[in-house]
Amino acid sequence: MKQNNEWVIEAEHLSYAYDGNEKPALDDLNLKIRRGQKVAFMGGNGSGKSTFFLCLNGIRRPGKGRVLIDGTPIAYTRKGLLDVRRRVGIVFQEPDDQLFSASVYQEISFGILNLGADEETARNKVEQVIRELGISSFQDRPAHALSGGQKKLVAIADILVMDPEVMILDEPAASLDPKHTKIVRKIVEKLTERGITVLMATHDMDYAFGWADEIVLMHEGRVLKKGMPLEVCADRKVLEKTNLEMPAVLRLYEKMKEKGMVSSQGEVPRTMEELERRLL
Amino acid sequence: MILIDKLCYQSGLRYVNAAEKFVYAVLSLVFCIASSSAVVAFLVFLTNGILTVGKGRIPLSHYIKLLLVPAVFLLLGTVAILIEFSRVPMDAFAFQIGRWYLTGSRESLIHVCRLWITALSAVSCLYFLSLNTTMTDILEVLRKMRLPALLIELMMLIYRFIFLLLETASAIMTAQESRLGNRDYRTKIRSFGAMASALFVQSIRRSNALYDALESRCYDGTIRVLSQEQPVKKKEIMWIVLFESLLLLITIWSIIG
Repeated sequence: MKQNNEWVIEAEHLSYAYDGNEKPALDDLNLKIRRGQKVAFMGGNGSGKSTFFLCLNGIRRPGKGRVLIDGTPIAYTRKGLLDVRRRVGIVFQEPDDQLFSASVYQEISFGILNLGADEETARNKVEQVIRELGISSFQDRPAHALSGGQKKLVAIADILVMDPEVMILDEPAASLDPKHTKIVRKIVEKLTERGITVLMATHDMDYAFGWADEIVLMHEGRVLKKGMPLEVCADRKVLEKTNLEMPAVLRLYEKMKEKGMVSSQGEVPRTMEELERRLL
Repeated sequence: MILIDKLCYQSGLRYVNAAEKFVYAVLSLVFCIASSSAVVAFLVFLTNGILTVGKGRIPLSHYIKLLLVPAVFLLLGTVAILIEFSRVPMDAFAFQIGRWYLTGSRESLIHVCRLWITALSAVSCLYFLSLNTTMTDILEVLRKMRLPALLIELMMLIYRFIFLLLETASAIMTAQESRLGNRDYRTKIRSFGAMASALFVQSIRRSNALYDALESRCYDGTIRVLSQEQPVKKKEIMWIVLFESLLLLITIWSIIG
């Protein structure tokens, strides 16, 4: 397998329609994602984010177009799909849709066993992931006694145990409390440090602006705009079309620059902390 | 059922090897029923009580409440054996009603007592297992016993999703209640129907989503998982062997005698 391809994911003219729906969920979508990047996917509900994600590991087979992983088109055979799903992991939005076992340990071991690992390797890997994500404090509780945030951590461990190259998180912060949102975000940072490409659907513009290398704005099954956060956020027209607000830090920075409260030298601050440091 | 599930996760015997507990419970159950000896039954009942309440630290009040559930059935079942309508009074007791007697024999009284203690101690074996062993551990033992994988998988999924189903149902019911959905009998019935159909639709959505999630982790038709197992302890095995041997001896003795 090629590993040195610059583009880890390429989608070409992707179209997908659900049975009985007149409007396609994906409509001639084109997108390339660089290896090791942090990409935020934004756009309203029904803009096609989730469907696109499901196409990326072969759960949905596009009606038209194709998906290339590491430069190789997905082969929709048993072996081909196994390979794609090992490389591209999805953490689903609703942990209750993903966790099938009441036991945390069993749950996490599922993915790696499917990759054909022997018992000892699998056990080591499962225990390593449990330690890494701080799951050990609640691993003896049944899934139905876990909080939403704890279930989310288990859902992430489910995928992490399979050592994916690309990790997709579908609105990971949805219905999490601030504490677990923070934990999940820290984990995401760690993933990037390891060289995993992270694709994340989110509605949190402030977070996406600070976190992402690239933001992809989706609208009606197409990519409306893709680019560096600053580039996307400066485009008021597309923001308006997708009902997104400009990041607070950017708005504040521009107003403060106008009034001479911050130095206009250097890069545009991407988080509130960065802005604070720039105050004159 | 939910109560038992909650209690078993807190049991002091939870981390004892599941196979040990399983073997102990099943063997004791078999001896109880096979011997139909009151001594065996009493011994088993007592031991289960001491283990579950003493070692497992299951609150006594809960334990008694749980044992009362089958007791009601037993009561209803044994009344028919014990009491007879007859023109002649029998030796245990007799109440005269006109020319008839509401009466029972000493033999049937003893029979009923033996039935009670046997049934209760048999149930206590099952309670011992379910109050001190988590469902996932029990399933693991069944898997080791080579029960068909399909059956185990089904039980595993049912156990996981029954709680989700209950959660969803209670959320819907709360939402209905807050809109006066159970104002009177008619609306109550209608609300219940609406809830049932909503649950059905949600279950289908959920099962589709689950299938996608499983597939995305390379699901190929069999669910393979690893479990954490507790080590088998020599001392525990010794006690189990000792206790079951005692039961065996009493059983043999009571059959010969």
